[in-house]
Amino acid sequence: MQLPLLASTFLTVFVAELGDKTQLTIVTISGTSSNTLAVFLGSAGALVLASLLGALAGGSLSSVIPADALQLAASLGFLVIGLRLILRSGTDAP
Amino acid sequence: MSEPVDSDLSASPEACADPDASTGSADPSDFVSVAATTFTTVFLAELGDKTQLAALLLSAESGRPGVVFAGAALALICSSLVGVLLGRWLAAVLPAQRLERISGVLMVSLGLFLGGQASLGLLRPVIDLPNP
Repeated sequence: MQLPLLASTFLTVFVAELGDKTQLTIVTISGTSSNTLAVFLGSAGALVLASLLGALAGGSLSSVIPADALQLAASLGFLVIGLRLILRSGTDAP
Repeated sequence: MSEPVDSDLSASPEACADPDASTGSADPSDFVSVAATTFTTVFLAELGDKTQLAALLLSAESGRPGVVFAGAALALICSSLVGVLLGRWLAAVLPAQRLERISGVLMVSLGLFLGGQASLGLLRPVIDLPNP
């Protein structure tokens, strides 16, 4: 079993994710939603699928996916969630 | 580019077929829409994320995509667990209204920052045309 490779990938990705915007998103969504399991399953599933695509495609994925276009779509998602939260915080009883 | 509307998800009857799928929250379709929203946002953000390349390069170099995927997947599950638990802790210590406002402002600024970066990236080929 390729333990060194497994361990080095684990550490690389875990440290890369710490404080990454993806993790910030997960903290935000889970902090403001009563559905913790749904948030965990949604985020873990998304991350695992994204890394599956990454591992399968090896280096070639970066040439295939339009990273900037996806980033733009993700930023729209952030804006929608953020605005919904701000509006909701305005309507909550203080 | 239409925003993935997940309202039709909650309409699907079979979503609430599984009683124990809803944990605590009375409404299972809320479970599906929260999971779907989280999945879409995190997936798009992660795929467009440059740091994703760290796992790619390891996979390309090692020629053992299976092992790299296992390591990356494990790390990502742990990091999303850390994120979820941190969110729950914040929800316990901060009043809901303040947490929602802070989170909202954080997400909007993140969205603006990312959107700006991405649009610059998209516009760059247009901006620096090779001068003759």
